[in-house]
Amino acid sequence: MNEQTEYTVDTAVRICGVDFKNPIITASGTFGFGKEYAEFYDINALGGICTKGLTKERREGNASPRIAETPMGMLNSVGLQNPGVEGFILEDVPFLSSLDTVVIGNVAGRTEEDYCYAVEKVSALDCIRMIELNISCPNVKAGGMAFGVLPESVEKITKAVKKYCHKPLMVKLSPNVANIADNARAAENGGADCLSLINTVGGMAVDWRRRRPVLANVCGGLSGPAVKPIALKMVYEAHKAVKIPIVGMGGIMSAEDVMEFLVAGATAVEVGSANIFDPHTGINLVNELTNLMKRCKIKSVYEVTGSLVV
Amino acid sequence: MKDVLFTLAEKKLLCDGVWEFTLASQEALPPIRCGQFLHLKLDGAFLLRRPFCIYKYDTHSVSLVVAVVGGGTRRLAELSAGTRLSAVLPIGNGFTLEKKHRKILLLGGGVGCAPLATVPVTYPDREYVSYLGFSRASNVMFEKEFGAFGKTVVGTDDGSYGRGGYITDILAADIDALCPDIILTCGPTPMLKAVARLSHQKKIPAYMSGESHMGCGVGACLVCTCAVKQPDGTIANKRACVDGPVFNLEDILL
Repeated sequence: MNEQTEYTVDTAVRICGVDFKNPIITASGTFGFGKEYAEFYDINALGGICTKGLTKERREGNASPRIAETPMGMLNSVGLQNPGVEGFILEDVPFLSSLDTVVIGNVAGRTEEDYCYAVEKVSALDCIRMIELNISCPNVKAGGMAFGVLPESVEKITKAVKKYCHKPLMVKLSPNVANIADNARAAENGGADCLSLINTVGGMAVDWRRRRPVLANVCGGLSGPAVKPIALKMVYEAHKAVKIPIVGMGGIMSAEDVMEFLVAGATAVEVGSANIFDPHTGINLVNELTNLMKRCKIKSVYEVTGSLVV
Repeated sequence: MKDVLFTLAEKKLLCDGVWEFTLASQEALPPIRCGQFLHLKLDGAFLLRRPFCIYKYDTHSVSLVVAVVGGGTRRLAELSAGTRLSAVLPIGNGFTLEKKHRKILLLGGGVGCAPLATVPVTYPDREYVSYLGFSRASNVMFEKEFGAFGKTVVGTDDGSYGRGGYITDILAADIDALCPDIILTCGPTPMLKAVARLSHQKKIPAYMSGESHMGCGVGACLVCTCAVKQPDGTIANKRACVDGPVFNLEDILL
């Protein structure tokens, strides 16, 4: 008998009272509303999925090109294209309601009122188990990151939407800030039940021959393996600063990467760009993580979270 | 859509910087239609897959036309036969012909001819006329392949092979005599704009297969969008990968 196959591991995690089968969650904006990837594998095997950022009104997003490949990463400037809350309810909620995995509704807005409206509507849906508040999108002029830079505004918007939120509230932090610990504390003080970080890092690509930016929006958000060291540092710093759970993300490509985020202080992780690089990433990571835990004789994810020795 | 593991079976130079790749699969491929494409995974530092239209297909293989335009395609051109490659396919809406479309005009510019070559394979029971445009004699490709489908006119911008001038001007001179029911086209944007004008003037419907920088290639990430006029007159950003890559030339904002 192979000892490795006999060793049983528990990949489940509970965040703010919500049970996840495993700590692998697909990140907002890289997984649509799940349907597209359901063609490749059973997405119910995932710990959770995060919806595309939803706003009060339908948005058409930015002009194209919206993507640029960079060394070990990519820039995007989609600009929150989404069907709006009403369109989401009509077109996507029926499918999401049929799933047996945690669905997190990612919500964005232009104004505080828009945020509150969308949070109230989306968090009231049965299929939505948690809200991820996107105050860190670098690709829209008004709103988005405007709320996510200064700790005061992070606390203010968190406090405002918390009143309207029927489900646990996860605040997604931007890395484009002076001190991530201050912003993490500000979200906690505002009433966030947990945090997710990092959103994309502001960046730019230049086509020097044409003297033009590669992205139509000029600048965009950097993601992929290139940002992993930045993300690990920020998860580590945020974990030290707050008591609420942290969902870590930034450049995760493998189960080893997942472990690094857990050790740095994350209870679960989100996987973004890697879905874009390979449609099977989500299921591969779930399987790889289970195998890695078996190989390393780790019984539970909780043994790993925040286990960093400095 | 399926992520299929292929072996690079054959690599053939079509003209300077343009290769034909034949990829073979052990397992039977999912059904493919004309105008669909695949999303090819490279290796190492190239994280994003690269979209290529399908140029030829059968049950266990596909051919692509790879023009070396940047680092990713240069890496591809370096691969030798026997290399394993995975690709998601088939992707996109492809070209759709209605029963009333009996005489089909295929209009290709450069490597843009490639996706049009699958149309007569999917719809063998139609009449085809092909107009293929290239910059100069040394870049002329596909003449024999399209010749097998019907009358084929080749033009070069500098007049060094076939008829001289832009292929759209050559077609404009002939179109009243040809009277096609529909134009299917693919090529550089200035050419597509000229086809759009011709299609509008002559009231002949035209569909184009477009190209866009892509992310996931499965319809999830919304980075490949192009602006398309909707029936209600509004402009919507549609995904080139799964809403396209074929759009009505009248509706797309080039």
